[in-house]
Amino acid sequence: MGTLELDRLTKVFQDGEEGEIVAVDNVDIQMDDGEFIVVVGPSGCGKSTTLRMVAGLETVTSGNIRLDGRVVNDEKPQNRDIAMVFQSYALYPHMTVAENMAFGLEESTTLPDDEIEERVHDAAETMGIAELLDRKPSELSGGQQQRVALGRAIVRDPEVFLMDEPLSNLDAKLRSQMRTELQRLQAELDVTTMYVTHDQTEAMTMGDRIAILNDGKLQQVATPLECYHEPANQFVAGFIGDPSMNFFDMERDGDTLVGSRFEYPLSQSTLDDVGETRNVTLGVRPEDVEVGTDESGSHTYSAVVEVVEPMGDENTVYLRFESAPEGETFIATIDGLQQAAVGDRVTVSIPEETIHLFDGRSGEAVHNRRLDMNDEISSPPT
Amino acid sequence: MSDETRTDGGAVSAAGSDQPAGLLAEIDAYRVALYLGLLAILAFFLIPIESGLVTSFKTSTGVSGTLPFAPPTPEVFTLAKWQTAFDALARGLVNSALYAVPATVISALLGSFAAYGITQSNWKPKYKAPILALFVAGIFIPYQAVLVPLSQFWSMVPLQEALGFVWALGISSDYTGVVELIVTHVAYGLPICTVLFRSYYKNMSEEMIEAARLDGASIRRVYRRIVLPLSGPMFAVVLIYQFTQIWNDLLFTLVLVQTESSTAAPIVLILAGLGQSLEGQDFALRMAGAFIAALPTLAVYIMFGEEFAEGVAT
Amino acid sequence: MASHNDDTEESGDAVTDGGVVEEQQQTGFGPITKLNERFGSDFVESSQFWLPPFLLVGLFVYGAIIWNVMISLTDFQGFGTPDYSDLDLEMYARALSDSGFVDAAVNTFVLLIGFTLVTLAIGLGLAILIDRNIRFENTFRTIYLLPMSLSFVVTAQFWAWMYNFNNGVINIVLTSVGLDRVDWIGSPNIVLWAVVFALMWQFAGYAMVVYLAGLRAIPDEHYEAAKVDGASTLRMYWRVIIPQLKGSTISASVVLMVFALKAFDFLYSLVGGYRPPNGADILATKMVREAYANLNWAYSSAIAIMLFLMALSIVGPYLYYQYKEGHL
Repeated sequence: MGTLELDRLTKVFQDGEEGEIVAVDNVDIQMDDGEFIVVVGPSGCGKSTTLRMVAGLETVTSGNIRLDGRVVNDEKPQNRDIAMVFQSYALYPHMTVAENMAFGLEESTTLPDDEIEERVHDAAETMGIAELLDRKPSELSGGQQQRVALGRAIVRDPEVFLMDEPLSNLDAKLRSQMRTELQRLQAELDVTTMYVTHDQTEAMTMGDRIAILNDGKLQQVATPLECYHEPANQFVAGFIGDPSMNFFDMERDGDTLVGSRFEYPLSQSTLDDVGETRNVTLGVRPEDVEVGTDESGSHTYSAVVEVVEPMGDENTVYLRFESAPEGETFIATIDGLQQAAVGDRVTVSIPEETIHLFDGRSGEAVHNRRLDMNDEISSPPT
Repeated sequence: MSDETRTDGGAVSAAGSDQPAGLLAEIDAYRVALYLGLLAILAFFLIPIESGLVTSFKTSTGVSGTLPFAPPTPEVFTLAKWQTAFDALARGLVNSALYAVPATVISALLGSFAAYGITQSNWKPKYKAPILALFVAGIFIPYQAVLVPLSQFWSMVPLQEALGFVWALGISSDYTGVVELIVTHVAYGLPICTVLFRSYYKNMSEEMIEAARLDGASIRRVYRRIVLPLSGPMFAVVLIYQFTQIWNDLLFTLVLVQTESSTAAPIVLILAGLGQSLEGQDFALRMAGAFIAALPTLAVYIMFGEEFAEGVAT
Repeated sequence: MASHNDDTEESGDAVTDGGVVEEQQQTGFGPITKLNERFGSDFVESSQFWLPPFLLVGLFVYGAIIWNVMISLTDFQGFGTPDYSDLDLEMYARALSDSGFVDAAVNTFVLLIGFTLVTLAIGLGLAILIDRNIRFENTFRTIYLLPMSLSFVVTAQFWAWMYNFNNGVINIVLTSVGLDRVDWIGSPNIVLWAVVFALMWQFAGYAMVVYLAGLRAIPDEHYEAAKVDGASTLRMYWRVIIPQLKGSTISASVVLMVFALKAFDFLYSLVGGYRPPNGADILATKMVREAYANLNWAYSSAIAIMLFLMALSIVGPYLYYQYKEGHL
């Protein structure tokens, strides 16, 4: 129970007279029972539309939505056994917290009043809002309203939770706190959850798996670490990770990649991955760019420090190849205690085992970094 | 309402002044002129009403013999005109209330229904647009354009016969006109009510309505449990505005009830002919009558001025 | 080339168009499902709310107008029912050759334009004064708007007295400053402007409320920027503020013109009968008089249609403008 399957799900909006906008394009996602999937992507990528189709708030143009194997495309929202948490919380302002939470049970079930009351009370206990039950939403803080919105969803004990950027109205501190709490809650309730956000930090930290959408198309569905270390394409590589991956457009010349600022020789095993592709985009994560003064090795270049952003634990350094004009920078993150000053001439090296290579035309990954440092990844990347 | 100093023109007009003392004096002169102007305008708006009020307490000799805006002196003071006016208009007060109150309530309720059905439910905007356009355009139709068919329509509908059981209770069959007025005012008041409610519902959170639908409430239940309880402020605006409009309207009463001698004659109809006779015009009586007729809407306005302003400004 | 993605911080990417939902109802049978497919998922279920009011308005407003057009094409005189078998434009031809109609049309036009312009100008002036951060703002505003709450019938009583030849306030004031009395109501050349003035008294407050809302919507920075630029108060309003009140002006003038078209109540009550003072007959009064005093039903219907077209020529462009601006 509680499996949710999106099968070639497509949504086309009519735009004006003749125009059509494909908001969601053939999206396939299979969610196991109890799984927490975060759907992430930039604004306008179709993630909210996908969620709203699952909720029944938008119709499906083609494809299927299956809940426990049953196609629910034409089912009314209230018959889908789902509960949704909205970005604005969408609490009913004229009802108390208890009434807000009871509303769904009153409207969709025939439970007797005392049982509704009991379930509301239990859900309120779970959310830690039992003492707020008699208040109106306007008397609550943003964080409390957020809890009520979640409580309203869990009280219905649905097969699937749908969450549409539920944390985006909270301030930064409360957001990270709620992030943890939401994860704990989801694990505890073990309810299949589809969570939409544009915030890749939420995606990385919360989801069992991440589904990345761009322009209505599904880019990759995988665990957060897979998305981070083995992105399926250049979009995913650039979207996941902050600061994001550096990309360099290169052309292959024999066993060397030639860019406008530097050349990068490749080993045979990497060359095998590249195959016949001529135009290649080289990607490297800022934390894999090594900055030092030691000039040795074949992947070492000299660069100038343009901007340093100290973050405390680490420094984000904007570097420029010597031959590049000002402003054309790439990023390296270095240890917070390592000194770097604007204008310094430094040596950077880009180790071959850390690079990603993408087909210059399609953006598909042809080679991802090697993960042979540990057999098994058990800790998040630094 | 606005405590900000943004339009404190004093600073602007004093911009050229160098001496602080001169600046102060100029600000003061400016403020004084501003308030004098405002008071003069106040007088302009109040003079017709004031003159009417003092005149209504004067005897006929007082009306012609004293200044029109001077309070009545003891020699010419009388309450007789008010008494006469009240005797003439009392029946009209009741009759007007008989249709104005139900028509106001019904048109507000139906307007709320219509606005909800068009605004907060899922159907294609391109089909909603023409329906909405017809409602909006309905606000601006001059009533003259429908008068003849309206008279024809009500002369064809056997309302008087259908209501025979009511007349059997001893109520004058003139009151058919009151029933006609209710239906007519509801029909022609609906467009403005709908548009007022629509502007309100458009600003209601869409996510909240969606949440309620997901919670399993039908369209009817969403209205009953979410939209209606939240419509209170707009109902205040619409009820006040509609009541004023219906109470004040003369044209439909003239067409549907026709004569001021009718048992069911509304107050505006009686007032329009009050104090006018072949011998001349009794202005004191007309003024007293005007105040009695204006009393209900004035009372509403004084109590709910804010809502009234919101109603007219939308 | 070095490049890195910008983190997208803005939220909410929903390309939502609830309206295009074409969800089928499980319970729906053939026709209902079809209707919903065509018009949107809630079409049938929501019709219980909007359809009855819509039918009422459709019948009484639009049905009546169509019926009116039909009657205007007959030569119905008020006995029995109109004869719809013989339709022609005779009544419209009659109107054009009727000097009374032409006069009324001209008067309607003058009233419409004169009243609207005067009221807008006064209303704007009031709004600017009220907006100057004054004390007792609410009191002033309430009293300026007060006449709007009165019935046309009531204001007609007040102004009949104000304009009274012997004892009216206006003539008393005129004589006290050494001027001659004016027969405001009795002079055909003056009476229309007297009516315009009285109506202005009643509706200037309305224009003020609309303009005030417009003024309040202008950000403070615009006033401050103009001040910093060294503009005088007058120039600030003329160059910076008033141009931004276009929307308020348009909506206020449309509503005022419609009020002017309805000035029938005022003119009727001024004299207590269908025949307004000489020089003040407008289409609205002429139409009612032809129908209910002279029983020229078909003729009055034709006048009504022309009045309606006049209103349409004002309101049509306005509604189109509103639609284009997305206010509908």
